Amino acid sequence: MPLLDLKGVRVEFSGFVALSDLDFAVEKGELRCLIGPNGAGKTTALDVICGKVQAVAGRVVYAGHDIGRLQEHQVSRLGIARKFQVPSVFRELSVRNNLDVAYSKRPGVFRNLGNWRRADVDDGLAKLAEFVGLKEQFNQSAGALSHGQTQWLEIAMLLAQDAELILMDEPTAGMTAQETHKTAELLNRLKGRHTIVVVEHDMGFIKEVADVISVMHQGRLLAEGTVAEIERHPEVKSAYLGSGGIHGA
Amino acid sequence: MSTRHSSRAWIYGYIAVCVVMLALPLFVSDGYLLNKFARYIIFGILSLALCLSWGYAGILNLGQAVSFGLGSYCMAMALKLRTIPIQTGGGVPDFMSWNNVKTLPWFWEPFHSYAFAIFAGMAVPAILAFLLGWFVFRARVTGVYVAIITLAMLVVVNLLIIDAQSYTGGFNGITDLTTLKLFGIAFDAYSKATYYLAAFSLIAALLIGLAIIKSKTGLVMQAIRDDEMRVRYFGYDVAHYQNFAFCVSAAIAGFAGMLYTLVMEFASPTFLNVSISLSIVIWCAVGGRASLLGAALGAIVVTGVQGSLSDSPKFLDTWMLIMGALFIAVVLFLPKGLVSLIDIFEQRFRKQAAGGGGPLTPTALPAAAPAASELRQDEVG
Ligand SMILES: Nc1ncnc2c1ncn2[C@@H]1O[C@H](COP(=O)(O)OP(=O)(O)OP(=O)(O)O)[C@@H](O)[C@H]1O
Ligand SMILES: [Mg+2]
Repeated sequence: MPLLDLKGVRVEFSGFVALSDLDFAVEKGELRCLIGPNGAGKTTALDVICGKVQAVAGRVVYAGHDIGRLQEHQVSRLGIARKFQVPSVFRELSVRNNLDVAYSKRPGVFRNLGNWRRADVDDGLAKLAEFVGLKEQFNQSAGALSHGQTQWLEIAMLLAQDAELILMDEPTAGMTAQETHKTAELLNRLKGRHTIVVVEHDMGFIKEVADVISVMHQGRLLAEGTVAEIERHPEVKSAYLGSGGIHGA
Repeated sequence: MSTRHSSRAWIYGYIAVCVVMLALPLFVSDGYLLNKFARYIIFGILSLALCLSWGYAGILNLGQAVSFGLGSYCMAMALKLRTIPIQTGGGVPDFMSWNNVKTLPWFWEPFHSYAFAIFAGMAVPAILAFLLGWFVFRARVTGVYVAIITLAMLVVVNLLIIDAQSYTGGFNGITDLTTLKLFGIAFDAYSKATYYLAAFSLIAALLIGLAIIKSKTGLVMQAIRDDEMRVRYFGYDVAHYQNFAFCVSAAIAGFAGMLYTLVMEFASPTFLNVSISLSIVIWCAVGGRASLLGAALGAIVVTGVQGSLSDSPKFLDTWMLIMGALFIAVVLFLPKGLVSLIDIFEQRFRKQAAGGGGPLTPTALPAAAPAASELRQDEVG
């Protein structure tokens, strides 16, 4: 049984059909890349998994739970983490505090009242910051970070959250080639320990990390297979027509 | 800018305020002045309460005066009941007998007990806040809409209190109270005892507030203020955190209201009118809404200056202008309030002490990812 299983999912935005009859399944431990032309519904697919939008038809099942009607925090507590297309960190909080918020094993109000700054947690968070190259910025506010650093902070936050399933929306957008490579390296290391779904446009990056690629087009799944299979796929080629082909999207 | 006030300057700031406040009666023995200072301190508590919900959790509560007023009425009811034997000799307070009420309404009964009244002075505002918060935060109402709803609530409660004249004293409020006596101490409005009660209450409120904002709950509150949506994806039930901040704030404001009855010697519907509610926002913003100490000082300074000018009515009109100008100036030039001057001075000082920071270099990927498995080791109980 797959860890994540979407069946016949349909999402509408006041009449506009963003997802229609989407089937999408991911096995535990897999690293799945999700690609497709602009407006294909990739972000919406992640939204429907993490509870941001709700499907009008179909089922979203995660580890045996029907999560289609759950709120965002309930989905998160089941072990699903999300990185957004637009980097979103807490700009007024320090890097350290951003990581602390993300480290959310016990999310209750009253539990956290007794949860004061502890040296051991601090050490762990500092290691994470060092890992993504933000050691110097540990006590600086996140609003002062550059775009690339913000991306890295968000990735570190995902690591702090330590979820079973990680949904990443264009993690390498705005990164230099070197940073993109570093991200690929990181994802390869997380492979197996976590189940990961990455939405990406960068084919070089995808080739570095992907086992299986899923291609979306007009709100549904168009094709699924290895990089070589997808590149040869005639329907994928025509879907990307006019957007400069799969490599130019 | 640090969000944690752990730096030295801040600690000194807290200590200095407490010391000055506690030492004041050594130099001031005039009861009238002490009463005035106690009033400013109570406004400080009220402003601090708003700081918790607005400054830390981003909930702009324009109905803060509801909590303040309800607390004030709870205390006044208890003090009024003790006057019955002297003032009327019957079973009801004087204003009720003027309104032809013969038996004491059921909700007045438990206020024969001081313990109940003090509990209710915090619990009633907190419960009301909880009920309102339950609907508002569940429905994910945010920003200016929260302000409008809380303001509407204020108007409604105010009208209800004025309307139920035979039970609440209507426009006149509840007057001619007895003096609170607890543990053998009489809290006369012009006594040092009452002043100290207010001062220690502010210190207690500061400590409780600090305990909250320094905990992880306080951190999550600040994250919610920053980006409410994002917080949800880390598994926090945002509505719970918002309602918690809202209720604690209401309870503290209720406590301030009880103290206010002691120093004013009456409770009145004017304690929960719109202008008090708006004043609280101004105190909080001027002092610094991102700092408990700042918010409290904002109230003390603004009302203090206002109070010293109020003796000449000519000045009072000018005062409204000065206050408006001050508010605009602070909001424009010091968005974190007057108290952010501490941060600014400290940063200047630090920069002089140490040189600039080194350039940023991307670090190489270490061999082993310190994934959260390392963090997980501290999972205890
Ligand atoms: N909140 C919304 N309201 C209305 N339409 C929306 C909303 N969100 C997405 N859409 C529409 O749904 C379609 C799918 O959007 P989505 O963001 O999922 O695409 P995407 O595959 O992530 O594209 P991109 O590669 O540009 O990020 C688009 O046509 C978009 O305009
Ligand atoms: Mg997208």
